[in-house]
Amino acid sequence: MLTDSGFWFVQVLNSLQLSMLLFLLSVGLTVIFGLMNFVDLAHGSLYALGALSGYSIARATGGMWLAYLLAPLCVMLVGALLYVLIIDRMRKAGPMKQVLVTFGLIFVLLDIQRYIWGTDQLGVTSGIPFSGSFVMFGETYPTYRLFIICVGLLVFAALFLLLEHTRLGAEVRASVDDPETASCLGVNVERTFFVVFLIGSALAGLAGVVALPAFSAEAGMGVSILVPTLVVVVVGGLGSLKGAFAGSLLIGTTLTFGQVFFPSFASILMYALLVAVLLIRPSGLFPARG
Amino acid sequence: MQNLMNFRFALAALTMIAFLVSWSGAGYFGMELLAEIAILGLLAMSLDLLAGYTGLVSLGHAALFGCGAYAFAAFTVLWGWPASLAMAAATLLTGLLSLIVGAVVTRVQGIFFIMITLAIGEMGYEIIFKTRALGGDDGLAGIPRLDLTAIGVDLNDPGAFALFLLLILPVVYLLLRRLLASPYGAILNGLHDNPVRMRALGLPVQRYQISIFAFSGALAGFAGTLSAQHTMFITPQLLHWTTSGEVLIMVILGGLGTLVGPVIGAATVTLLRHELSDLTDYWSLWLGVFLILVVMGGKNGVVGWLEAGWSIVRRGRVKRSSNDASR
Amino acid sequence: MLRAENIYKCFGALQVTRDVSLKIPIGIRHAIIGPNGAGKTTLFNLLAGELTPDAGRILIDGQDVTAYAPDRRARRGLSRSFQKNSLFLNGTVRENLMLADIVTQRYGFHFWSRLSDNRRARDKTSAVAEQVGLADLLERGVSELSYGAQRQLEVGLALMGTPKVLLLDEPTSGMSPEETGRMLQLIDELPRDMAVLLIEHDMDLVFSHADRITVLNYGEILMEGTPQQVRGSDIVHETYLGGKAAH
Repeated sequence: MLTDSGFWFVQVLNSLQLSMLLFLLSVGLTVIFGLMNFVDLAHGSLYALGALSGYSIARATGGMWLAYLLAPLCVMLVGALLYVLIIDRMRKAGPMKQVLVTFGLIFVLLDIQRYIWGTDQLGVTSGIPFSGSFVMFGETYPTYRLFIICVGLLVFAALFLLLEHTRLGAEVRASVDDPETASCLGVNVERTFFVVFLIGSALAGLAGVVALPAFSAEAGMGVSILVPTLVVVVVGGLGSLKGAFAGSLLIGTTLTFGQVFFPSFASILMYALLVAVLLIRPSGLFPARG
Repeated sequence: MQNLMNFRFALAALTMIAFLVSWSGAGYFGMELLAEIAILGLLAMSLDLLAGYTGLVSLGHAALFGCGAYAFAAFTVLWGWPASLAMAAATLLTGLLSLIVGAVVTRVQGIFFIMITLAIGEMGYEIIFKTRALGGDDGLAGIPRLDLTAIGVDLNDPGAFALFLLLILPVVYLLLRRLLASPYGAILNGLHDNPVRMRALGLPVQRYQISIFAFSGALAGFAGTLSAQHTMFITPQLLHWTTSGEVLIMVILGGLGTLVGPVIGAATVTLLRHELSDLTDYWSLWLGVFLILVVMGGKNGVVGWLEAGWSIVRRGRVKRSSNDASR
Repeated sequence: MLRAENIYKCFGALQVTRDVSLKIPIGIRHAIIGPNGAGKTTLFNLLAGELTPDAGRILIDGQDVTAYAPDRRARRGLSRSFQKNSLFLNGTVRENLMLADIVTQRYGFHFWSRLSDNRRARDKTSAVAEQVGLADLLERGVSELSYGAQRQLEVGLALMGTPKVLLLDEPTSGMSPEETGRMLQLIDELPRDMAVLLIEHDMDLVFSHADRITVLNYGEILMEGTPQQVRGSDIVHETYLGGKAAH
């Protein structure tokens, strides 16, 4: 098995694909943490919302393309609502209250999702782009998963350009580094927070809708992805794009190869990694603020 | 401060009286409910020590509760130990595990700490879930209760068992109050209030945080052994994050850092759950809404509201008596 | 006795402390002065252990404590007060001082004894409260105190452990003249087996109460000497006090 290049081919692509989904989720969360010092546990629920609303849109329009566009938008709108009603009011309230409020949000969003979409697993079977498969190294691999990887890489590139080469990006970086000074220099830190939250929410929704054809959707999926996402954020380092990317690759690979070699205990490996990072390098691999 | 302590003690006494009065008139279902409230009250108090007094918010506390339950079940069902020995051993084991977990988890502060407790709680859940020997997701059945026939008490009788639990509650409460009035309790409060100054004064902060993590974990484990005896059948759900969430909600709803609040919260949430789950499948939604409202509402839960009301009443009395005096 | 040898510290590209050395023997009142941003509080943080120097050593009574965390240094006899009040806001004055006693006398792991029964602690907290002028406010909540009273408690907390080395960061800042006078008297009356290092902006206080003065500017020592020497120094006058010294 270990010498079979086909095996490696499949597993490497699997880990890349999981990593890219984790990346889409964690990048929003890490910047929200790093920038706003806000603990948003409801982020995973937005991922579920993306998948579930994507499902409904796909069924209504007969295909996925509109879903890819509209689902993240829907999630972004819900994110805006949450921001105005709750997040903004709790910004200065300290981590404990933020945790409690967003924890409560998890319960609320979970039941709302159950109410609207039921508790069964929902899958999309038609109108999926790239639905074929291709052969390499003697293995057949679904093309759609390559699509997921590409989406992730594209988003990484787009975010990199946004952060490094636009004014908004500079404002985000300044606000992460030192919000007081940034504010003194004229950066509208409040507005930056709001924009970051919107983009983070949209990315979570995008992750959900992109994952939908490959993994199907159900109301509880937001919670099961939350913990790996949190682990990615801690391991990768708070507040940085590079950290989110590196952390996602590390965790995605650990989970995928762990699943192959130690089937029931793959996630235990992930927790072991988390513990190791906490013991050796508590601030993570690439924190934005050393 | 002294007035607050007396007010809360009075509240605790009233709560205990309410429990005992309910017990005296309760049917089978009522007894079961009271037993559940007592166990969750213990668990909530243990979390209050950690989150309310020391300021360490754990989202994985249920994992320690479940650990105690599963250890007790394993010792009695799988290894045939007597319940008394199994209770002590399970509590000790959970305390030891909490010590180890605490040593790792206290290396980070603030939001990291909170996130890590969530992750480790989930890890605990998954370990139990995947361990066939402990029944996996089918759970473990046939758990015996403590044998008190030597003093003429049969704990298999629901009424006797409920009373047994209801009497443990005030004992633990008084012990914890004593603990909190000691130098150790003052340190915990200081750690919550201003850990930087504590460190600057010379306190080895992490050592104390680990100690309270271990102690609160042991108490949670003890509550777990009681829970296993109550239902006589346990599943991994005991360790799930939703259970951790419910306990946290009980503490918040009742009032963080009040010790009596969490018990009131446990009673409230348990009663509400039983009432509302008859009315709706979406009980979690209301739990979530409740939590959000209480946290955003600004007062410290039920006890916080009661104390605010009480201080208004007292101010009114003082004003009236000084008016009378000045005539 | 506190000694710092050739301390260097930079934050990224910014050198905040450059080759700073200090020697404060027992009984000496040593003041650090300098313009804002000179690195005075940074130096305190380096001495107390909140920051680790990039180079150099810090010694307390001959013991190298450079690698020690703040709590370990405190247990070696170093105590500090903060420029921005760092109090236990949820307690009373007495509770604050009691906490400091528990930590410094190291009986934090006593689970069973009642704090309210501890005679010795009560007497000591009363004594220190008297010393810093808070004897009448012992049972008052800290958050209800005036700023000046809080400042007094700030110093009181640092005194509870009868430290060997006391670091006071701008103890009189924000105080009225009467409160400042009381603080000065307190500093005068501090036991002579204590080494005291203070950061101050109040020049009158510094020149009349310090035995030695170190002048800091841009993280470097501009000069060190007796108050007369510093007052007569042209360099100090040009960079800090403005104008030429009156000879």
